[in-house]
Amino acid sequence: MTTTGFSLLARLTGKAGGVEDLSIAEYPGPLGMHDAGEIARNIEAVLIDRIVSGLTQSRGHAATAAAGSRDSRQIVFCGTAAEVNAFFTTEEWSDGLPIVPPTPELVECFLQFTDRSPDEEIAVLPSANLRATPLNISVNAAMAGCRPEHMPLIVAAVEAMGEERCSLNNIGSSSGIFPFVLINGPIVAQLGINAGAQLVSRAPNPAIGRAIGLIVRNIAGFRPGASYMGTFGYPLAVALAEYAEESPWEPFHVEHGFDRGANTVTVGVTNNWGSSPAPYDRPGQSGAQTALELLSREIARKTRVFNFPGQGPHAEKVMITLLLSPPVVKSLAAAGYSKQDVKRHLYEHTRMSLREFDWISRYTSISGITARERVDEGVFPPEFAGAPDDRVRILSSPDVLHIVVCGDAHRNRVMVMEGGHTQPTTKPVRLPPNWAELLQQPDA
Amino acid sequence: MKKLEVLSPAGLAVVAPGGSARRIDSLDGKTVGEVWNGVFKGDFTFPIIRKLLQARYPRLKVIPYTEFPHVPGSDNPTRQRELARQIAVAAKEKGCDAVISGNGA
Repeated sequence: MTTTGFSLLARLTGKAGGVEDLSIAEYPGPLGMHDAGEIARNIEAVLIDRIVSGLTQSRGHAATAAAGSRDSRQIVFCGTAAEVNAFFTTEEWSDGLPIVPPTPELVECFLQFTDRSPDEEIAVLPSANLRATPLNISVNAAMAGCRPEHMPLIVAAVEAMGEERCSLNNIGSSSGIFPFVLINGPIVAQLGINAGAQLVSRAPNPAIGRAIGLIVRNIAGFRPGASYMGTFGYPLAVALAEYAEESPWEPFHVEHGFDRGANTVTVGVTNNWGSSPAPYDRPGQSGAQTALELLSREIARKTRVFNFPGQGPHAEKVMITLLLSPPVVKSLAAAGYSKQDVKRHLYEHTRMSLREFDWISRYTSISGITARERVDEGVFPPEFAGAPDDRVRILSSPDVLHIVVCGDAHRNRVMVMEGGHTQPTTKPVRLPPNWAELLQQPDA
Repeated sequence: MKKLEVLSPAGLAVVAPGGSARRIDSLDGKTVGEVWNGVFKGDFTFPIIRKLLQARYPRLKVIPYTEFPHVPGSDNPTRQRELARQIAVAAKEKGCDAVISGNGA
């Protein structure tokens, strides 16, 4: 059973699992906003016949290509740049912006920057369960406007997206989850990836982010309105790099077990790309203290706060990424805070009254159940069974917080990006043996 | 204007297309299971659906969602697969001829 607008998603999900003739009974309208009477009337008047039909009548299905039968080197279109763009738009292969036509010659340039075989399986990406290869990754990267030397970064990102930990299959939610990539290591400087002021808007970061978005669309199969259901859509995926030179803390990839000299790409997700408030030092309160309080306030007002306290296998995954500009991090470090200290402080001090939490959970979460019921399920800790005025810790653990130091080295701002259903997933960047030589080529 | 030949950005299929089990001819005398993931008011809609189906097919047996593995909010792929396996096992054990899964998408 589906609701209006989600039946195509159900069909595509069935198809991704090899079931082409899934029976679907569609409930008319947004069930979540219908009252009991309207739901009962719709079930009796519309849904019940559809259920009976679905259970007893075969839909049949057209024969489709067998797995892996398409020749990935096949020329799919020939035309002017404008005609290519029109064709790609019709095929829904474009994100609505003009693409760079992925000619075999251009794609070959990208393939030179990886030592993987063009048809090697890099990952099978959900939700469509399609195979990513250096060849089709190159096509998407070329379309996005990447440069060939970005290829190792994009391949590493695809590897990350294919990991179970990344749980890419969960990002179709109508809450509007979209990926971002974080690049760490010497390759940031080597390729001129921006880590500083306005980083996501300065070349080459936008093209790298766009490539990830196109791969999510064309290889993972997340098409807006079909299987990518964000109610208000998505901005372009962003590419971040950590500003290691301006950070007194260990960089993200070192924190996650990689050598400082390693190049890594991390794929994370966020539901928002939002405001970036500024903490100030004022008489009576340091900038560091203000930054901590500000981060707590920002976390507490996020949309999916009703999931934040969840623990254990029945809880939905939560990832909250804190972007801190270098001046904020330096003030925290000067006040004696390590990165872990900040996470622990925020875990302990980010609180909300149970009354407020329950209202959010009752009326804005899909399940609509109370904090106490979540305690009974074993998902929330016992403090959520307290009195309405109790101020409870809303984060399940310091570990759901992920800190990235980036942005303007001269401006004191923070941004809290909430994300859910996935965990940040880091992969090392694999460079071909002749990497240095390749970078010396005139067109690199 | 120069004509350009271009390649496809689409991923390659790895799952062979197949079909689902043959549909049952009628619900009369059959057993149908309910599977719910805990959201979109299934606890409200399934009892209505159950009642309406049994009004049409008095000999129909419905196994309510409470008798199947039911874990709201599980977003772990490994767990999702295990849950699907458990649901299939339970459906066979309970003699289900068909299963209704929902709500939502």
